[in-house]
Amino acid sequence: MKIHYATGLGALFVVAIHILMRLVVPYTSSLEYDHVISNYHNFLYAVALEAILVLVAIHGFNGLRVILLELRQSTLWENGVSVATIIAMIALILYGTRTIIIANGIGL
Amino acid sequence: MKSLEFGNARENREGLRGWLDPSRYGWERFAYWAQRLTGVFLLIYFIGHVYETSSIAGGKDAWNLMLELTQTIWGHLFLILVIGTSTFHSVNGIRLILTEAGKGLGKPGRPDYPYHPSSLNRRQRSGIWIALTLAAVAMLYGTNILLGEH
Repeated sequence: MKIHYATGLGALFVVAIHILMRLVVPYTSSLEYDHVISNYHNFLYAVALEAILVLVAIHGFNGLRVILLELRQSTLWENGVSVATIIAMIALILYGTRTIIIANGIGL
Repeated sequence: MKSLEFGNARENREGLRGWLDPSRYGWERFAYWAQRLTGVFLLIYFIGHVYETSSIAGGKDAWNLMLELTQTIWGHLFLILVIGTSTFHSVNGIRLILTEAGKGLGKPGRPDYPYHPSSLNRRQRSGIWIALTLAAVAMLYGTNILLGEH
């Protein structure tokens, strides 16, 4: 569970930064395309977004794995759940990273 | 012998029914159940959020189209629920980390009738109440920001 607690606390910290960045401007303005793109162009903020993506994905899918392992126990089930959640976690991280890279301008 | 072990394991396997059995509810049971439900809900939201924000890669029109779908009264009510569940999950999660570290558990004592578990003491219950109260406060704050626009 150490990885679950570490990613949970880490996610709490970077998500707090993410929310604070949204609260420094009026809510509607914070969603305007130009404002969002300017956020992505800020390298440190893009790194924070990547950290949120990785930490929350690990925490979320590991939590789901724990719940599913509590419900049922067998070698096949446990291995299947572990492999499926790791694949889903990697897929989500890759998909989110693609967005960050494109919006940051590296991929344009 | 092997089949007997397997049979016992199956008898003890209650699955979702055991998880949601309301006859066993106490505050700790409620917190256990709520932590898992909010966790699954937040994971679903997070996957949706990653997909939602990916529209930024499609340019201004794609982004604005996605905003039209999500920035509605129902979208905002959903976000208020996300604010409440994430606050509860975070604060209750911190309580669980502290508990696993041995904080707030109390001292072990002789089990006397009516067998109140020493681990479910005032500190633990306060932690659950603090998580619920902060979730309610965060939801009120979110409501003020999100529904203040309508």
